[in-house]
Amino acid sequence: MIRTLIRSQWLLLLTGGLYLWAFVAAPQRAGQALAIGATTFTSVLLLIVAVFGLVGLLQVWISRELIVRLLGREGGIKGLLIAALCGTLLIGPSYIIFPLLMSIKKQGARWAVVAIVLTSYAVKLQMIPIEVGFLGWPFSLGRALITLAIAIPAGLLLEVLMEREK
Amino acid sequence: MFSVGLIYLLLIGTIYLLLMLKNRQKAVESLLIARQSLLKLLPLLVAVFGLVGLFQEFLPPELVSRWLGESSGLLALLLGTSAGAVAIGPPLAAYPLAGSLLAAGAWPPAIAAFILSWISIGIITLPFEAQVFGSRFALLRNGISFIAAMLSGLLLGMLL
Repeated sequence: MIRTLIRSQWLLLLTGGLYLWAFVAAPQRAGQALAIGATTFTSVLLLIVAVFGLVGLLQVWISRELIVRLLGREGGIKGLLIAALCGTLLIGPSYIIFPLLMSIKKQGARWAVVAIVLTSYAVKLQMIPIEVGFLGWPFSLGRALITLAIAIPAGLLLEVLMEREK
Repeated sequence: MFSVGLIYLLLIGTIYLLLMLKNRQKAVESLLIARQSLLKLLPLLVAVFGLVGLFQEFLPPELVSRWLGESSGLLALLLGTSAGAVAIGPPLAAYPLAGSLLAAGAWPPAIAAFILSWISIGIITLPFEAQVFGSRFALLRNGISFIAAMLSGLLLGMLL
């Protein structure tokens, strides 16, 4: 019970601990920090709510099952591009995503497809408005494009390495 | 950011309304999923924004620029990538933290690498990844992702 609490909420516990320390060491500055945090949170709250609205829509209309079907079907360069796109739309913790991808692999998908999805997973299309809010357009857009460009060669490299010694 | 949020919320709200007319059941299902995912993330969001406040108030910019600044070059890149690799959590949590590090004077390539490795590398989830895909795949993938994160950061630095 306590272990699962620590595991799932370690960041909250850590932050709470830091605040406790801060309020003892420098109460005024700790209050200031809390105020900054609260202001930032309220300024993006609407955006976060909207993004989760989109997350819900994508989950239902572009379901994981649909993504699995898309990924399993194509093998060539088209398949790799689809993999890059699917990675940007998939969301969920690793304990869902890993077994999902392994099932695709077992259905005959290439290693490159699995690896590409896991790299392009670092771009979250539905989260881009939030990323832009914190980091600006040039940074967010540049990061997304570079990640997608690197996902395919990195995936192919991994596939070569996986299949060399067998 | 508030007005951007409002516009975005109106846009998504309109889509929901239209879908409500087209397929009520699926629209309601989406809404429930949205609410559930948001509620599940709420404690984490509270933590992240709490940290953002602490960073802003207590983290000396000299410290950030010494370890993550442009003058530290490769070391900054390596530190950013490693910090991201150790951390776990949804991407949503990485952006505000990355934003406050950037504001404190961190080098953008190091921060880009931090976000990438935050999402795509998991030291803590490595045993699980090895169990699902085999240890060979897990090690190779995380290794390649580590290098890819640093490379992407550098490329972004050239682009900006």
